Amino acid sequence: MQERIAFYEDMKAYNQLFELLSGGIFRFTYSLVKSQEVAEEIVSDVFIKMWQIRDRLPEIENLKVYLYTIARNFSFNYITKHYKNTMVSLDELDVEAVIELNGPVEMCISADLIQQIGRVIRQLPPQCRLIFQLVKEEGLKYKEVAAVLEISPLTVRNQLAIAVRKIGEMLPAYLQSGFKEINRFSHS
Amino acid sequence: MQEDQFKQEERFWLLVSLRLAGEATPEELDELDAWLVRCPEMGVRMEMLHGLWESVPSDARRGGALNRHLQRLSNHLSAPALNYETTAVLEEEEEVSVGSSRWTRRLLWPALGIAAAIALVFLFVNVQEPRGEATRTAQNTVSTKRGSKSKIQLPDGSQVWLNADSRIIYDENFRGPFRQVQIIGEAYFDIAKDKDHPFIIHANSIDIKVLGTSLNIRSYNNEKNTETVLIRGSIEVTLRSSPDKKIILQPNEKLVVQNGKAIVVKNKPVLQKEEPAPVMTLGKAHLQEKDSTAMDILWVKNQLAFDKETLEDAARKIERWYDVKVTIKDERLKHTEYSAVFEDESLRQVMEALRMTGNFRYVISKKEITITP
Repeated sequence: MQERIAFYEDMKAYNQLFELLSGGIFRFTYSLVKSQEVAEEIVSDVFIKMWQIRDRLPEIENLKVYLYTIARNFSFNYITKHYKNTMVSLDELDVEAVIELNGPVEMCISADLIQQIGRVIRQLPPQCRLIFQLVKEEGLKYKEVAAVLEISPLTVRNQLAIAVRKIGEMLPAYLQSGFKEINRFSHS
Repeated sequence: MQEDQFKQEERFWLLVSLRLAGEATPEELDELDAWLVRCPEMGVRMEMLHGLWESVPSDARRGGALNRHLQRLSNHLSAPALNYETTAVLEEEEEVSVGSSRWTRRLLWPALGIAAAIALVFLFVNVQEPRGEATRTAQNTVSTKRGSKSKIQLPDGSQVWLNADSRIIYDENFRGPFRQVQIIGEAYFDIAKDKDHPFIIHANSIDIKVLGTSLNIRSYNNEKNTETVLIRGSIEVTLRSSPDKKIILQPNEKLVVQNGKAIVVKNKPVLQKEEPAPVMTLGKAHLQEKDSTAMDILWVKNQLAFDKETLEDAARKIERWYDVKVTIKDERLKHTEYSAVFEDESLRQVMEALRMTGNFRYVISKKEITITP
């Protein structure tokens, strides 16, 4: 797809790529800037930038990481300008995680539980929350998250384990609806 | 003891997170399975997490994000999409290497340079020729390095595809009675019609005059010939060595002209009794059977084609296409002929295919390929 956009100025491929990646980049950007309008503008800027440098696309090893990284930079630029902060670090940034929790009905996860999970996620440290979001919602690999956030893959791995543990530990060990279900899920 | 259990649980959740993220190794998956056999109640939690994990994020945006974006994109497109480097002829010619890493680093410099150059030109024009027309024009150079191709649009709307290791030079705004470009390397032109302003392409040994047409020209300085293939329309070719001779080309005709400083191969082996190559030959372009596309323009479709080419010529194409260096250690091998079309093949696949038909051996080490009998 990169080749097609670069060499044939293939608008169809470009649009496909937008549909494929812009949703995730939007959620990521929104987590950082916390404004729908700003996030949409930044996503649009990211894809304009990509069009402008289309000649160089074939050289870009991982386009997804590249676009997320541009989005991160644009978001940080916006934050520095908007809040007059000189430094932006992920640890200090109040990240708003956009995480979908609509557990399948058959999982018997009550609305109450969903709320509790949401609370646990919100209580995660900002960086941890963002990592959880990028891995779970956007399906980025550890290495990709590491490249986008400029941290080590090991940090990604550890932070994700923390997030999963925090959520996992608050889940009930037994399903309320009865023992039938346990047999379905347990490995025996 | 308690600390030990904490460590163990930590390990368990790490394994779960690795599995959910799809980053677990087979060993880690086995370890997790063993855990679950020991503590089935953990399995319930894990499956619940898994269910949560699978829930697909919804698009939080208002509908029509793509259309709004395309609208913004088109507003931006009025600004030049490709960053050409503009230099006045007074200055030493600099080139943009499209796709090189120097590109970004150098963006700032040209900006300053252009400003300075424009100021210079203005001064020059004003002082020297106060009433004359601005005769000094700026030139644009767009070039590609080995291993990369590029497509550009000229100010008149003509499209040019540049093959690897090629360069096109043209006046910034195409003023004057002719639209003129100089090409070094290989390019495919789709020229916008403009009867009043003929389009002239200057190549190594020839000049081509066209009205509105598409053609492929291949004129590398390190090759023996300049080849022109007309795809549609008509063109008039003038040999630089005898300007009174004009050759009119019809569609799908191919003109091969020996380059001005034809390469003289020294120390030619005695067994190679070659006739001196004709200065010029006019023939039919070879068309591909399936869709009768001229072999010469397959590169525009990102296909690497050899059309009854000697291994020596093919090697040069490979060098440019993959940005490698090819050395052929045997004179006889150099002159064996190959025909093939490759699409999206790796360097190794191409070399392997040639080796199978050509019966030679090769070694690839980094960016160097050595071919031996």
